[in-house]
Amino acid sequence: MQRPTDQPIFLDHAASAPLEPRVAARMCECLRDPALQANPSSAHGPGRAAATIVAQARAQVAALIGAEPAAIVFTAGATESVNLAVLGTARAAPVGHRHVVTARTEHRAGLESCRELEREGYEITWLRPGSCGAVSPEQVGAALRPDTALVSLLHANNEIGVLQDIAAIAALCNERGVPLHADAAQSVGRIPVDVNALGVALLSFCAHKLGGPKGVGALYVRRRPRPALRPLVFGGGQEAGLRSGTLATHQLAGFGLACELAAQELPGEEPRVRALRERLWAGLEPAAPVWRNGAVEPSAPGILNVCFPGIEGESLLFALEGRLAAASGSACSSASAEPSYVLTAIGRSELAAQASLRLSLGRGTTAAEVDAAAVLLVAAVLRLRRAAPPTASERIA
Amino acid sequence: MEYSPLVRKLFATLPRCGELTAGPGTTVAGEAMALERGAWVRLEARLEGGRLVDCAFRAWGCPHTLGAAAIAAERLVGWRVGTPAPVNAHALAALLAAPAEKLGRLLVVEDAMQALLQGASGLQLPVSAH
Repeated sequence: MQRPTDQPIFLDHAASAPLEPRVAARMCECLRDPALQANPSSAHGPGRAAATIVAQARAQVAALIGAEPAAIVFTAGATESVNLAVLGTARAAPVGHRHVVTARTEHRAGLESCRELEREGYEITWLRPGSCGAVSPEQVGAALRPDTALVSLLHANNEIGVLQDIAAIAALCNERGVPLHADAAQSVGRIPVDVNALGVALLSFCAHKLGGPKGVGALYVRRRPRPALRPLVFGGGQEAGLRSGTLATHQLAGFGLACELAAQELPGEEPRVRALRERLWAGLEPAAPVWRNGAVEPSAPGILNVCFPGIEGESLLFALEGRLAAASGSACSSASAEPSYVLTAIGRSELAAQASLRLSLGRGTTAAEVDAAAVLLVAAVLRLRRAAPPTASERIA
Repeated sequence: MEYSPLVRKLFATLPRCGELTAGPGTTVAGEAMALERGAWVRLEARLEGGRLVDCAFRAWGCPHTLGAAAIAAERLVGWRVGTPAPVNAHALAALLAAPAEKLGRLLVVEDAMQALLQGASGLQLPVSAH
């Protein structure tokens, strides 16, 4: 995919990856074909034609994570999948099981689902990760209780990319009969993910992080043993009663193809993107001091979260405006400049969190873009450091 | 965050940012820091004959803070001891079309300016006769 020269260098794949042109073409085919406009749940011929597309997509999505097609529940995205996994499992747990284990560094979809459970009277254990950014299996093991209904953790952290040892955590959970949900929105399609090897009961992911369309995702629900799950959306009983609503044929066709393409390209893309990320990190050296947030490995290949001590985040983003698209370490569009809770949870100061950027690479990112991004960043950082009071780099860190 | 054309221009050029140029007179400085508010400003000026003849700033903060520090440095040149401060935070906010939530940071610019002016005024105070 060629980037138009008037567009900023896009290093925000963790937020959303560009739509793969082949996926867009497939979706357009579906939208244009009069034979595919029926409701996939309808029993007539046009309905069955649409259902065939849905079935193909389900198989493609399932194949990417080594699952049976029947274990896939289509949703409107990873946020809904996470909500269904967390709320649905906790609410369906046996009487008296009202304890959930999660981490302070979860994506907001997981955090807010757990907060909702707290409001409903559930007890949540909020694990604090080490400075590497991951919680250890030992921490999870120590938090498990006889009344634990669910453990829910990110596979790859969306801000720092650090991978948690989901397989080891799942082994502990499975021994105790506790379902483990992994939010894998940042890992599926970027590293090999096999639900059987991981041993998870539930796994959330979505299309738009891997070149598919926004507005569609999936929840893997293990078949044997199947975790009890209560739906959040009620209606026509689609998706085995777990997610009612007419299936969006064109969205699912796009999701399916995106998964198939990701599976095909993964063996080459993962090491390529990982090497580009390290090239970018090396390119930032002239802006020293520069710190890396979170462990280098194990990690999702495309995420590099860096802190530039002495730099104010809003000014850095503004200096890069129109030339580089990246994510700030703070919600600094207001005076509150709320720092990233992930970065502060792993031990960074609020000022260091505000001086951080998440640079996320993906399919389509080129070496030339990475080099150009490093030049832009170094120039912006050095200029802002020159503008700051002389001891700013020591004080603001 | 939307930025006014003036903020964009000042951020792009950072006029009067850096060191004072060498010259006659006495150097005075004023500094204010409120890291929790996201601003740290240092102003330096050269005082000659009761008048500021040059001024430079260094600042850590958002684009509005840097722009405000640049305006303050510019307006300080020509200021005479005993006269009011040439600009305040509210005037800076109006000039920069800054959103209300940025006022706290612009007050840091004003504090740095006031500190410099107090220092300059102190240097020019007549020696009291006993």
